[in-house]
Amino acid sequence: MRFITALALFFYTFVFFLFGGVLIAFALDVLGVQNIYKVVELMQLNMNTKIITGAAGAFLILVSISIAQLILGRFEKEKTIAFNTATGQVTIALQAVEDLIRRLGQHFSGIKELRPNVIASKKGVEVNLRVILQSEVSIPDLTSNLQDMIKTRVQELLGIEEQITVKVHIAKIISYGEKRKKGETSEEITPPYSGYSRK
Amino acid sequence: MEKEESRTDLGAVRIHKDVIASIASLASLEIEGVKKIGGDLKANIYELLGRKEKRGIKVEIDRNDEVRLDVPLVVGYGFNVTDVARNVQENIQQSLEKMTNLTIKEINVNVQRIEKE
Repeated sequence: MRFITALALFFYTFVFFLFGGVLIAFALDVLGVQNIYKVVELMQLNMNTKIITGAAGAFLILVSISIAQLILGRFEKEKTIAFNTATGQVTIALQAVEDLIRRLGQHFSGIKELRPNVIASKKGVEVNLRVILQSEVSIPDLTSNLQDMIKTRVQELLGIEEQITVKVHIAKIISYGEKRKKGETSEEITPPYSGYSRK
Repeated sequence: MEKEESRTDLGAVRIHKDVIASIASLASLEIEGVKKIGGDLKANIYELLGRKEKRGIKVEIDRNDEVRLDVPLVVGYGFNVTDVARNVQENIQQSLEKMTNLTIKEINVNVQRIEKE
């Protein structure tokens, strides 16, 4: 598998290198329009060249997919919390922890929006929260409750003993009164022809 | 190696990796709290092609015929992730040992997401 990945990486670099070289050569007038036209014409010369061109295209698509997978896989591997059990390893994606925190935020009525970012390091787990609040809430009480709840629930649900730090950043406060007024206004809108009645 | 092979008096019995993956998948879904089996891009392509048994679970068999499994999971919200992962590991081990007599080296569970039930 590693060999295939290395081969895919090599081809990916080679193709980009070649494409870059062609562009530079074209810009420096080393390669003319006629040359490129000849190559393109050659690609559609007969059935054999068409098959080769098509196969090369399909191969490049496969290489691109494997490279994308490699990159995404690497990111995924980095962003996990792992621990060992008797049967094997359990890894929990930080994305999963973020999903959990997002759901926990829904328990607080004063929170309009909550965006968590979880960072795992040797020191422990750091949870950074970006919160949008409604104006009629006590910020110290709400943030304190939120921090406590997230800390406890994450510790309980993940079963980890490492230190969990919860940092809250209030990004915006939405005026609750204004929102309510807007709601009332929209309710007051009467449908057209509402004054008429059937006789 | 694609298949796990054991010999009897009458001949060889081969168990395909997909069968091991299917058993692991079913054993995982039996556990309360497991919403579905997760997966990567390749697994999603397999699912689109109708090969759901290939979804996400990776099976490796080493030279000593020991099996190593990587199981990606999506866990339901409100369940203890660690307990669910441990239960999945145990249930897969029991199911595989019961159905195939294979030696299990490792069952690695990867909780990818948490979704609402």
